[in-house]
Amino acid sequence: MTHLDYTSIDTNKWKNLPPPPGFTNFSSHANSRAPAKASAVTSSSYAALKQKRAWDLALSPAKQLPMQAFMLYMSGGGVQIFSMGIVFMLLLTPFKSIAGINSAFAPFAPNTSHANSSSTLPLQKIAYIACNLLTLAVGLWKCRSMGLLPTGTGDWLAFETRGPAPEISLF
Amino acid sequence: MRLLRQFLVTSLCATLSWALHESDVGVVDWHKKLIGVPLYHSLQTAPVFYQDIVYTATGNNVLAALNATDGSIVWRSIFEPEDPISAFGVHSNTIVSLSGPGGATLREFDLFKGHLLLEKRLHDPLLGHLWEPSNLGTSIISTGASSSSDSSSSTILALTNGDTLTSINSSTGETHWEWTSPDKGTLIIYSKAITTPTTAYVIGFAKSASSFTLHVTSLSMLDGEVIASVNIPANFKNGLTDYIAITSGSDTISSIAWLDQGSIKAASLKPNLKGQVFAIKGMQYKRIMDVGLSHDGQFIAIKEDGAAQVLLLDPQTSSLKVIWEFTDSAPSKLYSDSHYVGGLNKDGEPRIARVYWSNVHNRVVHQVFSAQLAEGKGSVSGFTFPFETSVHGIVAHVAFDVAGSDESTGTRFLLTSSTGSVQLWQQDLLSWAREESLATIKVAEIVEMPQEKMTEEHVRLEEEGFFERVTRQFSDAKNLPQYAVNFARRFATGSHAPISISQDEESVSRDAFGFRQVIVAATSHGKIFGIDSSNGEILWSRVLGLGWAAEVGGTVIPVKLYVTRTVSDGDAPQVTLVTQRRADNTLVDTVIFHLDVLTGDDVRAESKSPSGAILEGFDIISGPLIEAFMLPTQNKTIMLLDEFLQVRIYPDTPEAEAEFQALAPSLHFSLRTGGPGQRKIMGHQTIYSPDLSMYYMAYPTWTIPFPPEEDVKAIIPSSPGLLASFGHVLGNRTTLYKYLNPHLTAVLTSSLSNSPPTCSIYLLDGVSGSIVYHSSIPAASGVCDVKATLAENWLVYHYFDDELAGSGQSKGHRIVSVELYEGNDIDEKIKSSDITSYSNKSAEVTAYERSFVLPYGLAALTTTTTKFGITTKDLIVASRKNNIQSIPRRLLNSRRPRNKPTNEEMEEMLVQYDPLLPDDARLIVSHNYEVANVNRIVTAPSLLESTSLVFVHGLDLFFTRTAPSNTFDVLSENFNKVQLVLTIVGLATAIIVTRPMMRRKRLRERWYR
Repeated sequence: MTHLDYTSIDTNKWKNLPPPPGFTNFSSHANSRAPAKASAVTSSSYAALKQKRAWDLALSPAKQLPMQAFMLYMSGGGVQIFSMGIVFMLLLTPFKSIAGINSAFAPFAPNTSHANSSSTLPLQKIAYIACNLLTLAVGLWKCRSMGLLPTGTGDWLAFETRGPAPEISLF
Repeated sequence: MRLLRQFLVTSLCATLSWALHESDVGVVDWHKKLIGVPLYHSLQTAPVFYQDIVYTATGNNVLAALNATDGSIVWRSIFEPEDPISAFGVHSNTIVSLSGPGGATLREFDLFKGHLLLEKRLHDPLLGHLWEPSNLGTSIISTGASSSSDSSSSTILALTNGDTLTSINSSTGETHWEWTSPDKGTLIIYSKAITTPTTAYVIGFAKSASSFTLHVTSLSMLDGEVIASVNIPANFKNGLTDYIAITSGSDTISSIAWLDQGSIKAASLKPNLKGQVFAIKGMQYKRIMDVGLSHDGQFIAIKEDGAAQVLLLDPQTSSLKVIWEFTDSAPSKLYSDSHYVGGLNKDGEPRIARVYWSNVHNRVVHQVFSAQLAEGKGSVSGFTFPFETSVHGIVAHVAFDVAGSDESTGTRFLLTSSTGSVQLWQQDLLSWAREESLATIKVAEIVEMPQEKMTEEHVRLEEEGFFERVTRQFSDAKNLPQYAVNFARRFATGSHAPISISQDEESVSRDAFGFRQVIVAATSHGKIFGIDSSNGEILWSRVLGLGWAAEVGGTVIPVKLYVTRTVSDGDAPQVTLVTQRRADNTLVDTVIFHLDVLTGDDVRAESKSPSGAILEGFDIISGPLIEAFMLPTQNKTIMLLDEFLQVRIYPDTPEAEAEFQALAPSLHFSLRTGGPGQRKIMGHQTIYSPDLSMYYMAYPTWTIPFPPEEDVKAIIPSSPGLLASFGHVLGNRTTLYKYLNPHLTAVLTSSLSNSPPTCSIYLLDGVSGSIVYHSSIPAASGVCDVKATLAENWLVYHYFDDELAGSGQSKGHRIVSVELYEGNDIDEKIKSSDITSYSNKSAEVTAYERSFVLPYGLAALTTTTTKFGITTKDLIVASRKNNIQSIPRRLLNSRRPRNKPTNEEMEEMLVQYDPLLPDDARLIVSHNYEVANVNRIVTAPSLLESTSLVFVHGLDLFFTRTAPSNTFDVLSENFNKVQLVLTIVGLATAIIVTRPMMRRKRLRERWYR
């Protein structure tokens, strides 16, 4: 029979670790000064971490681009179900992400500001939008190379109309 | 090159539907083989019986053999247009024909198979004399007995060109001898020849100051030496009909008889030509007639009072005597003028038939006279038969033979009516009839039929008892089982029943896809037909009435046919036929006939005329017609121009008048003006000036200053049809905008006095007269035979390219495809279809053209038409090889690249240019039918966008349907509908079975979770 021997843990080594987020030390009300100082340290590092994570999120679409480009390359130029699926994904995800940009960045918002406001984390959000537009551009470029963009006059030919001629010829 | 062509052919296989499946033959198409209306005006070309076959030469220049029992064509031989048949004769086992100017060519055919056994040119066609009628001075005489020792061969005597008699061995074609008159036809026209075993007599006439003189030359049958030659002063009026040469039955005694100032004179012919002229005294005659019995010594003479006598050359006394007079043969109100015709009975004895129309009985009466020479008497047996004169016109020619042993019952009559119907009557029964005027269709249109109407009987419901109601509803439901079976079959197999079966015989209504339409065709023999396009049956036919000209006689020549009410306008469709009536007193009138397409009824008639009555027209202009147009208005008013360029409107109702007046300022049309050889094209508009005329007048607005020797041959309007796309999209998605000028007209001209002679094709704007495209074409051997068709922005023309001196080109048939696009560059547009023609921009056009070598000549060409114009237009051509082909647009694309197509060009489905169009049997849509001498191809849309109906007329009639881009709007035949239906049924049963199981399972799950 084995026993877990917690007493052997060297607690001094871990004494200064910040408590996990959301942990409130109910037992510390007796000594309030020292924990207040410690919490100031932990909240500042916590904010930096949030910043860092927000930047990660902002740049994540750009990091996926090489993978997406490879997928596009593999799916080929034909109009098939796979290539169409990838192209649709490329075209739709930027819009979806931009629409949900505030909620996506809400967890990383600093405590001082309103979490769902557009003005929080402005730099990260701009970078995020730019990266998503990059994805969209890749998708459009793919569409263009597949001939799906109505850029030529031929694409608008069906909408052309002609009126009756002013003169009438009889045959 | 060869590899390339093979690639092309394989690419064709991959992309085209195979031209025609064997199983479709006779289902999607039909073919009517015709011979044309017999040339009955001359005995030498009129129908004759020989055993069980009727031989005739026809107005379509065909020598044909008809089976007398069932009327089918045994064989026919089609002569070239420049080689008209002038005479034929049945000669022991062969039939011999003379054709060409003056009888230049002699041909000998097998009697029963029609194989050409011998062809011999007797003189150069350019040296042939052109007389009126054209077969004057040509004649065929076969001598039964051979002059040579070889018994298998016999001798043909051919009188040609009015001056030459040639003796030809019928099996080898060797000329035994030839005699030509000393004056070579300049003065004396030799028009008849007659033989005895030793001597041949050639009889001719020459016109002297006031009358004619006869010339007779006797030749030895052995070597053609002239034995004697005399002039006989004869005083007859008409050189063609007023003298005949006869031999008695034994062929030893011959004589000539002529009409000399009311009396018949005759001279007996002896080799030394010495003898007396004697006359039949005491009688006054006005006509003598050869009835085809000149070898049996009998002919007909019409007395001054019109009564007909049979005259006989008596072999004993070598004199003429009257042996019979037909009773009641003088003209009378009770019966029409009589036809007299000779024939032989089974034993070779001569018989003369008299056929006339009796106004008393309203039947045709025939009498057959047989002479009992031994007793010096004759007997007549007669019969009547119910010829439908209101359907077939009057009897124009009669031929007969006595096939049976009994003279009265075994007599067969072959009637040719004035409307071109050929009928064989045996006693009073019609054995068969052929509508040969269909070989002379002038105008034809395909008209859509309405959908089958539910025949609603107006039943007064409140007055109806219970049992009556039940019985009525049962009788209404009598077709239900059949309908259910049809529905089940259609649902299970997806195949519609063939249209000819699904329709019940009586109703005239369309099938599901609109393949069944009415072909309205007007012929030059004064008859208009409604033909069922699904099987070629004649739905109705009407004789076009002559109006006041019925008194003097005349012909009605169809000029234009307009569909003036279609199914989409509601009610029964109607057509209006514009004709020119030429009365025999040279007056020309413009007459309009207005018909119901489904029944052939006259729309104009107030009361419904009894069906089968002659259709009377409406004399709209008492004078010739210059041109007729249909206005693009709601009522489809027809505008006619008389010789003073006054505008007449049909129908002449106030609404039509108002419609015309509203449109008049913007109407433009072009007319051909000037005499033959210097015809010009002039644009016209209409104006109303009350001091000039009570009608609107047309006045010229433009003309094209062609060189004086340039003659406008034809004006080809753009073929109508809806348009789906205004441009052509290239591979890089730029657009070539189609040049869709609605006033575009193709004009073919010839300048034959140029050196070298040339033909030209112009595309004109019909409003402003500006030339949009012009191309000069060499005139092969001085003839402009250019065929062209214009549809949308696509012009195709065909010509024969002669070898040009020094250019190194080879001769051959060429087809040129020209496509017109707006502006000078890609993506440039000028909106050509709605800008005014006077705009400077309207002439900004780029023409792309490619010329192709065709391995065959073309007789006619046109493009397919479909309902909405989405389907590609293919070119339908009638080749001189007597078949109909459908050439895909892809092959005729004028933008086919000269190099290997790039990717973008491949995207446009362009194939590399190959000058030679493949002579591919899969392009043929006419199966193995012979569709000869095509005049015109008519195409019409069906209700399926993919499918176009094609009707070809000429000598033969042919109808088929084509799908240029495959039948994309119906399920393909190899689609397995049974499998689909079974799968669905299986799934449905699976659901039905498993649903309660599933429900129970779910319920149990909730209890015992």
